[in-house]
Amino acid sequence: MRITWWAALGVMLLGLPVRAQDEIRIGAVLPITGKESKIGGAYKQATELAVKEANNAGGVQVGAKKMKVNLVLLDDTSDAAKSAQLVEQLITQDKVHAIIGGYGSHLVQAQSVVPDRYGVPFLSGGAGATAIFGRSKWVFGTLSPVEHLAETQMAFLDDLVKQGKLKTPLTIALVTENTEHGNDYAKGVNDFIKSHPGYKIVVQEKFELNTTDYRPLLQRVAEAKTDLFLADSHLEDFIAMHRTYTQMGLKHQMLTHGARGSDTAARKALGPATDYIFASGWWSDLLPYPQVKEFNARYKAATGIEPQWYNAMGYETVRALLAAISKAGSTDPEKIRAALAGLKMEKSIAPGQVLSFTKTGQADLPFVVTQNKPGGKVDLVWPKDSKTGEPVAPIPAK
Amino acid sequence: MEKFVVVALNSLLTAGLYATMSYGLAVIYGVMRIINLAHAGLMMLAAYATWALNDRFGLDPFLSIVIVAPAFFLLGMGLYATVIRWLPRSSAGPSMQSLLLLFGVWLVLQNLAYAIWGGDTQSILTPYTMESIPIFGGRFGVPQILVFVVSILSLVGLNLVLRRTYLGKAIRAVTQNRDAAMLSGVNAGQIAAVAFGIGTAFAAMGGSMLSALYAFTPDFGRSFLLKAFCIIVLGGMESFTGVAVGALVLAFIENFASAYTAIPVSYQDAISFTLLVVVLVAAPGGLPGLWRLLDRRVVAR
Repeated sequence: MRITWWAALGVMLLGLPVRAQDEIRIGAVLPITGKESKIGGAYKQATELAVKEANNAGGVQVGAKKMKVNLVLLDDTSDAAKSAQLVEQLITQDKVHAIIGGYGSHLVQAQSVVPDRYGVPFLSGGAGATAIFGRSKWVFGTLSPVEHLAETQMAFLDDLVKQGKLKTPLTIALVTENTEHGNDYAKGVNDFIKSHPGYKIVVQEKFELNTTDYRPLLQRVAEAKTDLFLADSHLEDFIAMHRTYTQMGLKHQMLTHGARGSDTAARKALGPATDYIFASGWWSDLLPYPQVKEFNARYKAATGIEPQWYNAMGYETVRALLAAISKAGSTDPEKIRAALAGLKMEKSIAPGQVLSFTKTGQADLPFVVTQNKPGGKVDLVWPKDSKTGEPVAPIPAK
Repeated sequence: MEKFVVVALNSLLTAGLYATMSYGLAVIYGVMRIINLAHAGLMMLAAYATWALNDRFGLDPFLSIVIVAPAFFLLGMGLYATVIRWLPRSSAGPSMQSLLLLFGVWLVLQNLAYAIWGGDTQSILTPYTMESIPIFGGRFGVPQILVFVVSILSLVGLNLVLRRTYLGKAIRAVTQNRDAAMLSGVNAGQIAAVAFGIGTAFAAMGGSMLSALYAFTPDFGRSFLLKAFCIIVLGGMESFTGVAVGALVLAFIENFASAYTAIPVSYQDAISFTLLVVVLVAAPGGLPGLWRLLDRRVVAR
């Protein structure tokens, strides 16, 4: 009988939160398994590293005291419905002070409706679709809009025209995946062209994800005989489409698949056919800032891998949230939200070095442009003040 | 004229690809009256097996069919013995149990692949992957031509087996009338096991070849399964020549619609599914059924 009482007392004591008021409870829902597991797993690694670093430094300065971060990280198995449900669970059961959103616009979109219901700050580092932002004052994101990705690429091409490497008028074949991402990309290109004479879209087509045959689409592109080929594709579609493109002997002065191009998997799948493709991204390890070089070394030492854009943005998202909590001086949700809205994080590893959010809650950081070079080399070619090599334009004939 | 020939040739190559990924589905439906929803998962698994053989031993994806297809034949037989044979028999059509069970098998295969290989995108790059051959002013990819050749060879081989061997005749007998076949001494259970093995081997052959064309993840195969389903409905569900013709019709419609109309290319799948609905409503027996109907009318006159 005595043992039973002691056991009950032990359970009660163990069950009690140990000075829960002295810790910052952060919830995160990521696709660690399932379709998005590759990048979801990278976000998990980066999120945990950022939290570990904060705790190793003694915690986050909140008002007069330093508070440790308690991260509750859940796997949504790449399922949108489950993703939203887990965010709700973190808020109602784990009583987190703030949420780190997942990866993938469709998953984050599902998650993003929940924080508004409970008034909890939500910061995502893995969704660039504009439709997610501006609907709730609680939702923030560190990835700049995909539209700006397209605008950056157009600005890069326009600069090549100014340098005399390309000559206007330039005709464009615009081919985008039939998703929010693809639509935002197409909008970005179209918006740029409206205010910049000298460019004309001759053929504009959409394609479904995992299309089985790209030849009908590329036949239309071939018939249009355009100068530029601008596409926005997922990795699998990029590989399948570019194989057909190469087999058909198509050639353009410049070619992009949006954010795709320098991926190791793509270069392995396509070989030298990826040379001179340019791609845009939210981040590059080639950025010449001292804090990026430091981050690259630190990340590699901690995980054994060279950081990619998703590692960097996952890491920076946590840093931004912790910076906002520190700035708020409190774990009160409204104060954290206000701090996020007014955040101006200097010495960020993100392009532009200052991380802040627009009125819609989405960051508006510049994109980088990289260009593949022969021999597996990649150069950062945009922004101009950060470039590691000269852009090659037009693509030389082989 | 040149454009017409190029589009026609491309349709032919696409048909080869479509037929290859549909044969396995037709074999299993013909004998067992079940729609193998795990077909996409088996193709995906075969793509990974082919990739592993290429990665480790440098084996060409087309040559690896010699290893992958027999291995998957055994896997199919094993799957039949452990899972499929317990399904309630239905001669009318696929039962809900079979659909749910095979969908479950697909999910298991998918998650198994995620557990083993993770979600990374994999692909196979051979010396001829990016190569093409100029024909009538168009350039056609070497891998697509190889897929077409294998598709024709497998159609001929399958028809030879079905017409010239006891096993083939038994499969056809069970396909046409299971009870009559059993009364004639055919062991329908054994034939079903072999048919499931053959169907799985064909799915594997499709997967091996697809791995030479596409990049893949454990989620691979979904869009191919939907196309294959349209093709076997169009082809009459149980005739392999019908499957080849169904693949040809679908490929020609898709390619010519894109080349000669203003229909957006993204409507390609919509064309497949509209065709599926039209065939199911107007000619449930598919193209062979339609052919038989027209033939009877001509004879009646």
